[in-house]
Amino acid sequence: MDDLVLHKLAISGPTLASMIQRLSSSPADVDGLLFGHITRIAPSTLPDDAAQTSPDSHLVATISGFLCFPSLLSFYDSLGRLSSTTHLNHKPLIGWFSSRRKTPLRPSMREFSVTHSLSSTPNLSLPIQDSDSNSLFAPSIFLLFTTPLTDQIIQTNQYRAFHFQASRPCFNPLSIDVVNIGPAFRGHYGSFSPASALPFLNCELRSLTPMTVDRNEETLIGIKQTEKDQSLLDTCAEGMQVGRLSRLIGPEAISYTSGLEDLYEKMLLKTESLVRLVEASSAKVVEQENHNRKLRYKVARSVGVE
Amino acid sequence: MSFDGFPPFISAQLHYLVNHFPERIKVEQVLSGGKTYAGGLDRFTLLIPYCLDYIKWDIIYNAEFPLAPPDVIFGPEDEDFHPLHMTGSVGEGDLKFQNILSDWNHKDPTRLLALIQELRDRYVAYQKKRVGEVDDDRLKFEISTICSREGIEMQISSGAEKPEEVKFAVPLMDMNINKMVHGCPWRHPQKIYLQVIYPVGKKYASTPSPPRLKLMSTTELRALFSIEDVKLPSWLDGMCMAEYLPHLEESLQKQVVEAVSLIDIRRRFIESLAPLFGRPLEADPVFCRKATFLASSGSFVFLVHLLISTQFPKQQPALMLQSSQHISPQGIPKKSPLLSEYPWSPRWETSQMAERIFDFLADESLNFKRFCSESQPQH
Repeated sequence: MDDLVLHKLAISGPTLASMIQRLSSSPADVDGLLFGHITRIAPSTLPDDAAQTSPDSHLVATISGFLCFPSLLSFYDSLGRLSSTTHLNHKPLIGWFSSRRKTPLRPSMREFSVTHSLSSTPNLSLPIQDSDSNSLFAPSIFLLFTTPLTDQIIQTNQYRAFHFQASRPCFNPLSIDVVNIGPAFRGHYGSFSPASALPFLNCELRSLTPMTVDRNEETLIGIKQTEKDQSLLDTCAEGMQVGRLSRLIGPEAISYTSGLEDLYEKMLLKTESLVRLVEASSAKVVEQENHNRKLRYKVARSVGVE
Repeated sequence: MSFDGFPPFISAQLHYLVNHFPERIKVEQVLSGGKTYAGGLDRFTLLIPYCLDYIKWDIIYNAEFPLAPPDVIFGPEDEDFHPLHMTGSVGEGDLKFQNILSDWNHKDPTRLLALIQELRDRYVAYQKKRVGEVDDDRLKFEISTICSREGIEMQISSGAEKPEEVKFAVPLMDMNINKMVHGCPWRHPQKIYLQVIYPVGKKYASTPSPPRLKLMSTTELRALFSIEDVKLPSWLDGMCMAEYLPHLEESLQKQVVEAVSLIDIRRRFIESLAPLFGRPLEADPVFCRKATFLASSGSFVFLVHLLISTQFPKQQPALMLQSSQHISPQGIPKKSPLLSEYPWSPRWETSQMAERIFDFLADESLNFKRFCSESQPQH
């Protein structure tokens, strides 16, 4: 298996910041998964540099999201073997990260083992975007966060990225590009694409006479189809009737703009209610985590066998 | 060594490790990985003796997750050491090692010791493999002839400025020195090692330079036998370890046996002081290196400390007087400097040695008394 060489790792400023915030507010060591994609970018070279050998296009890994587990040994066991790959089947998995305070900035024995397992599990690889070949990228990125060994008055977070090379096996250091909005951002605009899109809805362009509309609503299949379409629409908008969508096309689309604005408004409403849901469930998760921690304290304080 | 601040499950395992590891292991840089110190200290660095030096491994426990086994971070120059993925060598040892981690019982204090020992054994195998890969004919020959000896450890060291070197730690002599000493207080078996450092030969060098040799021993052996007094036989050109070691071992063996016999000579000497000085206040009964007597010169009462070296009777004992009536401003009793220049001959009978020391001290004590009273502040 030929080794893919990663040129660098790109992560957006807000993602890195929220990762660091999550790590430094946790009471103990944490780890988690990294999601993103791999793209092949052609480096810009002047075409009349004929003397140079044509460089390979660069592979760049981009982190677009992360999932932080509140406990150790979450998706792996003490030997670094993956506990079950079923819940790891989120396609954009490109690696994992680990955070441990007051330790050296080098991968540990278990971290090596976990990365090895992660990158050699066959069904976790993802395809490379903008690539001609069908090569797959196994999740082999490891991001390590530590804090300095001595107490500091200024809070310092250190981080280093590695790309695991399964053939040797070893960790290769990987340079990190923190992408922030600014003049240089333009080139990265395309690499941060949204993860959820508007669902496909059945759309038939017919002349909409009052007669045709009634006929559609009468048949049972028609009603069921409408219900299905409505529930699909409800996943991304709140309070929007499916029937109104049909007015955005065809001869009724005179008030297209206001109709579209209405749709967006309803989508924002949906986002807001989702946010509230997440808030409520986060509070429940925190409560459960606190409860678990109290139980662990009890275990830790119990005296060992002497 | 007390381990305050550790949660009980960590301190039990750390205590056991330090007390039961075959050699002296040190613990430093104890830190807490929690956001606050409330959870307790849960990470530290172990200095594990290897190849007559120490290797530093960071042990990472988690006070928040007591059921999980600790993780280990190895030294920066051991990037290729992966004990969980060692190919070839270890065999059934693999299952045992994996079981230590997968069946981790945090309540069992012996677990950390088992883990560290397994890791260390694998480290020995890893260094052996690395040294075997060095492209140097002389080294390859040495390894093939020497490796049948038990207990050899080797290490490659290379740095940016220094040339690559291979260090061997060869344990010498199979003898159990602890058993030879009557009433031996040593907790660990004492051993003598030869450290051999080979520079890795460059291809264009005509003759390989001889290795650097150094004798080293466990620290407690110094009470019996000092390796600094041993003169190493010279390394002839073209020699190899298989030739050099037997001579060295034979000579060392003789010296150790002689050192043990010297204990009795020292004991008899101390006993010979008793008729003149009275029974000693304190004396080292095992190695007979020290004795303290109470003496008086008129109304001046003082202590006489005798420090007897391993070279006795060739080297005379060093004497030190300590006043029982004068104290320095810091609250320490006044002492004389070490007196080692006085009439002496190793060929005297022990009774004569005792008499001569007695006579010398009879005079010297007057000087000491004057010294003490002169430097006493007048009220």
